[in-house]
Amino acid sequence: MAENGKPIRQAQDKPKVAFFDFACCEGCQLTVVDSLQTHLELVEAVEIVQFREAMTEKGEDYQIAFIEGSCTREEDEVRLKEIRKQAAIVVALGACAHTGGVNALKNIQPSLQDVREYVYGDKWEWYNTYPARPISAVIEVDAFIPGCPIDRFEFVDVVKKVLLGKQPVIPDYPLCVECKLKENVCMFDKGGVCLGPITRAGCDAICPTYGDGCEGCRGLIPNPNENAMKEVLVEAGLTVEQLMAKMTMFNAYNPSQIDF
Amino acid sequence: MSLWIVEKQEMSAFVANMMGDYRVVGPLAKGAKFAFGPIEDPADLRLDYNTSILPPKKYLQPPEERMMTFKRNGKTTVETVIDAEPTVIWGVHTCDLQAMRVLDEAFSQGYPDAHYLRRRRRTLLVGIECREPCDEHSFCKSMGTLSASRGYDLHLTDLGETYAVDVGSEEGATLLEKYSRARLATEGDMQRLNKVLGAKWPRFPYKLEFDVGELPALMRQSYNSPLWDELAQDCLACGQCTLVCPTCFCFNVYDEIELNLQDGERRRRWDSCQLDEFARVAGDENFRKYQAARLRHRFMRKGRYLIKKYGELGCVGCGRCARSCLVDISPVGVFNDLHRVKVKEA
Repeated sequence: MAENGKPIRQAQDKPKVAFFDFACCEGCQLTVVDSLQTHLELVEAVEIVQFREAMTEKGEDYQIAFIEGSCTREEDEVRLKEIRKQAAIVVALGACAHTGGVNALKNIQPSLQDVREYVYGDKWEWYNTYPARPISAVIEVDAFIPGCPIDRFEFVDVVKKVLLGKQPVIPDYPLCVECKLKENVCMFDKGGVCLGPITRAGCDAICPTYGDGCEGCRGLIPNPNENAMKEVLVEAGLTVEQLMAKMTMFNAYNPSQIDF
Repeated sequence: MSLWIVEKQEMSAFVANMMGDYRVVGPLAKGAKFAFGPIEDPADLRLDYNTSILPPKKYLQPPEERMMTFKRNGKTTVETVIDAEPTVIWGVHTCDLQAMRVLDEAFSQGYPDAHYLRRRRRTLLVGIECREPCDEHSFCKSMGTLSASRGYDLHLTDLGETYAVDVGSEEGATLLEKYSRARLATEGDMQRLNKVLGAKWPRFPYKLEFDVGELPALMRQSYNSPLWDELAQDCLACGQCTLVCPTCFCFNVYDEIELNLQDGERRRRWDSCQLDEFARVAGDENFRKYQAARLRHRFMRKGRYLIKKYGELGCVGCGRCARSCLVDISPVGVFNDLHRVKVKEA
């Protein structure tokens, strides 16, 4: 964070911002590009010096780094540490950077070797890999923006808070709260299933609002009652296999997977 | 006040006639459920709804609202904002009418809440008598909210071809006079009304195994009950129970700032004592750290604290919390369990 909570933004110069990506689909950066069009004031508020998805220039002088993607190789760690060295503030952008996201699914497969062969076929030797991890497993992270992809309004809000030198407030209550405020008919009442009761809110309950149960992309709330959630899902008709698939789709990562 | 009759076929005109002067809201179908919403076509108004996902309190205390705006660019200004459109809420059940009495007390005692009170003054309530239980979760009869003798501007009872309309306030009388073609009830109408009201009563079961007057004392004795820990094993702490509750009124206040980092607005939003962070204070201290304590707090509010503070019970028996709970925690279940333990101990 900016020292002593003082705003990082100076009247004369805009803070310099850079975007980086690791193992990800770059959908979060696409959301950022999109939000630059819906929130033109963003371009006024900061100076973007590096953003591979949106520009060719590549400035290395930045104070705020937004990092999308999980760390999945040893060489990623080197690059992450370089970014950390330069940036005063590092923000994890999206599920892959924040929790490991879907990348961590490989961590729970029978073996990493199987995964490499499944993905790269007979060229598996060409590609190095190790268990996927959130960037916070490698470097210190000052703030995170959850979601797959991120919510643009939350992105804008985090930018404001960072510029003010404040810790961004990311909800740590469950999705059910937002879903109820929108007065949606509960997914379970419609015969569906949903991870809303244990998933971090902040997306304005977008999936249930449009008729799909929550998949947990924003990560779990700090104290989820996972046992009760599993019982509810089984009662709603999920098999144990379906249940595990649902619980791990975005939330497979566990620090023990990289702690040898 | 006197009793009036409105023909059912004239109800649409009654609703439509006031639409130019008021925001008119009422129960509308939402999937297989119902939700209060703005009436665009009076034919959509579903006075036969069973219950709504959120209670109509959302028009008195909106889920989210602006409280003030501030500007620091140039001259610093702070302006209070109260969005309070003249509103008529149609089809308020008697449980929710009672809940609004609780809210009225809560928001006028101590430091009166200007936002709530201005909206309340500009809101007219058209109640409707329930003739059938809405579902297995409601327990209005046990809580004494199966009928209402006050708290409404107009109150409807479905008599088949007509609605009997009881006038509860001057404003209600004006509504009726200005927008409807109501006629005074005849002796025959009165008899029909009495018959309908008499017939509905036995259809509603008592759900509590004790008199509700004993509830506050029961809750006091149950503070250290092991039940709270047992319930916390199952509770998802999702907060739905409090968000759908017609008497819950806790909110969180926060500021939203523009990207110029100078101007913004202060807002508030419904909060829930069931959430981890609700009782978190400076220094990261949390004075209700465990779900058992949070659950107990909620039930204490419903059965004891509110009646002590505001003179009204915090539960009206609408059943919304039980209906929305994915792990089947219900006030009827909790209150009866506590009572059984007490009887056994005695």
